[in-house]
Amino acid sequence: MHSFGEIGERLRRLTAQISIGDRGGGSGIVWNADGLILTNAHVAQRAEMQVELWDGRRFRAPVLARDPRRDLATLRIPATGLDAASPGDSSALRAGEVVIAVGNPLGFAGALSTGIVHSIGRLPGMGRQKWIRADVRLAPGNSGGPLANAQGLVVGINTAIVNGLGVAAPVSSALDFLQNGGPPALGVTLRPLRQGLMILDLDPGGAAAASSLRAGDVLLGSFDELSDALDSAQEVLRLQFLRGDRDQVREVFVRVRPRAEAA
Amino acid sequence: MANELAALSNALAAVVEGAGQAVVAVHARPRFSSSGVFWRPGIIVTAEHTIRREEEITVTLPGGSTVPATLAGRDAGTDIAVLRVEASGAAPLPKSSGAPAPGNLALAIGRSQDSGTNATLGIVSAVSGSWQTWRGGRLDHYIRLDLTVYPGSSGGAVINVEGQVIGIASSALSRIAGVAIPSVTIDRIVEELLARGHVARGYLGLGLQPVDLPDHRKGLIVVSLEPEGPAAKAGVLLGDIFLSLADQAVADTDDLRGVLESHGVGATVEAAVLRGGNPNKLPILVGQRPRRG
Repeated sequence: MHSFGEIGERLRRLTAQISIGDRGGGSGIVWNADGLILTNAHVAQRAEMQVELWDGRRFRAPVLARDPRRDLATLRIPATGLDAASPGDSSALRAGEVVIAVGNPLGFAGALSTGIVHSIGRLPGMGRQKWIRADVRLAPGNSGGPLANAQGLVVGINTAIVNGLGVAAPVSSALDFLQNGGPPALGVTLRPLRQGLMILDLDPGGAAAASSLRAGDVLLGSFDELSDALDSAQEVLRLQFLRGDRDQVREVFVRVRPRAEAA
Repeated sequence: MANELAALSNALAAVVEGAGQAVVAVHARPRFSSSGVFWRPGIIVTAEHTIRREEEITVTLPGGSTVPATLAGRDAGTDIAVLRVEASGAAPLPKSSGAPAPGNLALAIGRSQDSGTNATLGIVSAVSGSWQTWRGGRLDHYIRLDLTVYPGSSGGAVINVEGQVIGIASSALSRIAGVAIPSVTIDRIVEELLARGHVARGYLGLGLQPVDLPDHRKGLIVVSLEPEGPAAKAGVLLGDIFLSLADQAVADTDDLRGVLESHGVGATVEAAVLRGGNPNKLPILVGQRPRRG
């Protein structure tokens, strides 16, 4: 089998740097030999990003799909014959297993850090899905990079740092995203309040922007309830919200788009 | 065929799973839960500083159920609290014999309600003998950990790679590192907390300052005196210089604490003091340190 050094080198070769022009960005995972790149939605902020491979080749890459709730996105680069990731089984992952993270923390390309799985479970404010928490040193720039197990199989996508712990989306949710595309989205930036979820911003061209919802409106219900409504496959959602004086509950119908192709 | 790294990975996960069967989540403060360990059937130990309320404490058991717990006692000095639950829990974990050595691998095992068992890995970075904590208690060994004790991990089990307990994790005893409260200390404090609900510490009611004496001896000068305290009742005056207590020389306050460890509440100790340059002997009846809060 492969030594630790070989596993590390293989992981470094499938980790890409993703940026906007010369501005620092994050990391990505070469997902197949034909140029499909997986990363975080918060890394792929624009419609087109710059991707740099381990060997120094640079490409302009259009963003194919985004899933802001699971924080995943896909890009495509015009290249073939690439070394690609092999996904592992994130559902079999246990606390205590050795994990290896590769990324570009603080601009150090291809930096590798090791640790163990701390725990696997839900995180407050991060939806109903389970997340992998890893006792591994991460820094800004690791986002979108691979978290691999001791065999070098990718089990997670490094997404955040919470209380010092690395938080990674399990590869099972990435596989679901790649197969079924991004789930329907409202196209809003929300901030939780006591009364509900305040709309801070609307994506132009998003589902919410096409309805009568405006920035400053407060959607009633929790983030999880809204997620469930979006995942329920209804084409038109009926949402309740408050506006202005906030003593009158208003209603709006929002037409959400079906799932978008991710690959 | 698995590589060596995969073998290590599987071995660590197996040890974590095994030890996790005796580790619970403790809900006794806002926001973060902490962790605790079944020390005996029905008896859980945790880190005292994570107990922020004495009523309505619950624990989440390894099986996932959450049950009420009562506080049997707490000792801020050693950062140990003892909880009682109806459930007997899994068999207590085997204890490692003696203190670990610097460089030994160690795992801190905790639990949270949402994500079950959690683990961090590192090494034991320093070990020394008996250590007085800044909170006033005495640990039988100082065991410094080079592993991260996250907010929810305090009170969790610190184990070696064989799955034997070294102690419980505390982030409150040192500013620079996590510390393992050793098993032998926990055994001692649990015994006392179950019997009395608190740890009685000997008390003289004195503020003391080390001073050098002309003949190269050292002593402790009395700079404050608790009115009606044990020393005041025995006739100790401000400005007296303690030379020895129970025939043991006292050059600094740790020496004095050492004497009080072996001569507990209710014992009479003879103090040799200098008053105005003249030696005096004063018998002092050791009192009990008033409990905080």
